[in-house]
Amino acid sequence: MATVTLTLNGDVRTASVPPETTLLRLLREEFGLTGSKLGCDVGDCGACTVIVDGKSVNSCLMLAVQADGRDVVTIEGLATMSRLHPLQQLFEDKGSLQCGFCGPGVIMSAKALLDENPDPSEQEIRDALAGNLCRCTGYSKMIEAIQAVARDGRGEPAKSAV
Amino acid sequence: MKAFEVVSARDARHAVALLAERAAKAKVKVLAGGTDLMADLKFASSSHAPDVLIDISRAQELRNISVTDEGLSIGALVTHTEIMRSPIVRDLFPALVDAAHTIGAVQTRNLGTLGGNLVTAVPSVDSGPTLVALDAHVTLLGPAGTRSMPLADFFVGPRKTALKPDELLVDIRIPRENLGKPAAFLKFGLRKGQALALVNVAASFWVDWGTPAFVAPRIALGAVAPKVIHATTAEAYLDGRAIDPDAMAEAGRLAVGDAKPINDFRASAEYRRDLIAVLTRRVLEGAFRLAQAKRLEKK
Repeated sequence: MATVTLTLNGDVRTASVPPETTLLRLLREEFGLTGSKLGCDVGDCGACTVIVDGKSVNSCLMLAVQADGRDVVTIEGLATMSRLHPLQQLFEDKGSLQCGFCGPGVIMSAKALLDENPDPSEQEIRDALAGNLCRCTGYSKMIEAIQAVARDGRGEPAKSAV
Repeated sequence: MKAFEVVSARDARHAVALLAERAAKAKVKVLAGGTDLMADLKFASSSHAPDVLIDISRAQELRNISVTDEGLSIGALVTHTEIMRSPIVRDLFPALVDAAHTIGAVQTRNLGTLGGNLVTAVPSVDSGPTLVALDAHVTLLGPAGTRSMPLADFFVGPRKTALKPDELLVDIRIPRENLGKPAAFLKFGLRKGQALALVNVAASFWVDWGTPAFVAPRIALGAVAPKVIHATTAEAYLDGRAIDPDAMAEAGRLAVGDAKPINDFRASAEYRRDLIAVLTRRVLEGAFRLAQAKRLEKK
């Protein structure tokens, strides 16, 4: 077994897992954070996207032990009890998702983009989402939602409850 | 996935020592960014799966990009995203930035490393053609020390390299005489993201502004042979020749004869041959535009 200690959505968490455990399995099965999805499991679909040390990665391609000592943010780290993150709110307002399976990954990719580039062009948004596959609705309404968040300068996490 | 042990290497020497120690008794693989290896492991039959992974992803010394007396050195663990953002690489070789940008998608580029991309050595390796066109060498560290070889020779065949089981790829060097050599890269895939190249091509050459003429022209082709190859006939044709659109188009036609494209589920050989001619001409045009822009900048 390998011991992994990481900062997860702001809290220091520790788990003991077999060495071949992926970061995705650690999140879902040890910590019960099932927002990150297991889709293709080989880095093509992006449903498992999380942010590690500020960068979006496929958590299915990273071993849990490689996340030891690192800062990990998942979709569960965005909203507070009373308020959605602006990206989540705008995805809802614009009807950007249909089945929703790709949503957590898409939103984490969008968050990583806006954290580094608060005013992206449409092409930059499309480039940032190229690793997130949606098979329901297409990408136009997702891009509109991300543009709306960027325009409002609301890319930062929501503050405390209203 | 089959169970395996993970051993973290502090630095390159530690990784090589671990390789020597563990490879005698078990099947060992080196883990860097993991974007190829982890995907492979999920499909690997248990007889092929490794018993031990040596995780080099924390070896900070392999993450540097620097210009030294020997040229541009890129550490094997530099990610594709880091190449795209490096002011040194952007200034000297925008073609390397373009090539990195065509790999996978953001998530893959954030984890995937240049060394990993080269060691995996698929024929369509997007990092390959530009580096081959710039006469890049790889540095391999083994128990007896380092050795260097041209990247073009490091690639042996599909997923085969000259790396010995006890060696680690530690850096990639573009020789000093090629620093700033105008180069261009193009890839044709079926989509912009997450697509393998049907054909990828890079060209580089210096310009003798008197004529103007091609000096030391290099053309490298990917995905159209068992490994990245030089289009040797096209290179010989261009060497010393006056730069004009006809010469670039003819070099494209000659490059087709230098390649051995295959039919597969992504494209026919015939389609790939057409792509080689067009992309070769376009990378020659692109490298020349860059040469002209660099010349204006200097004036």
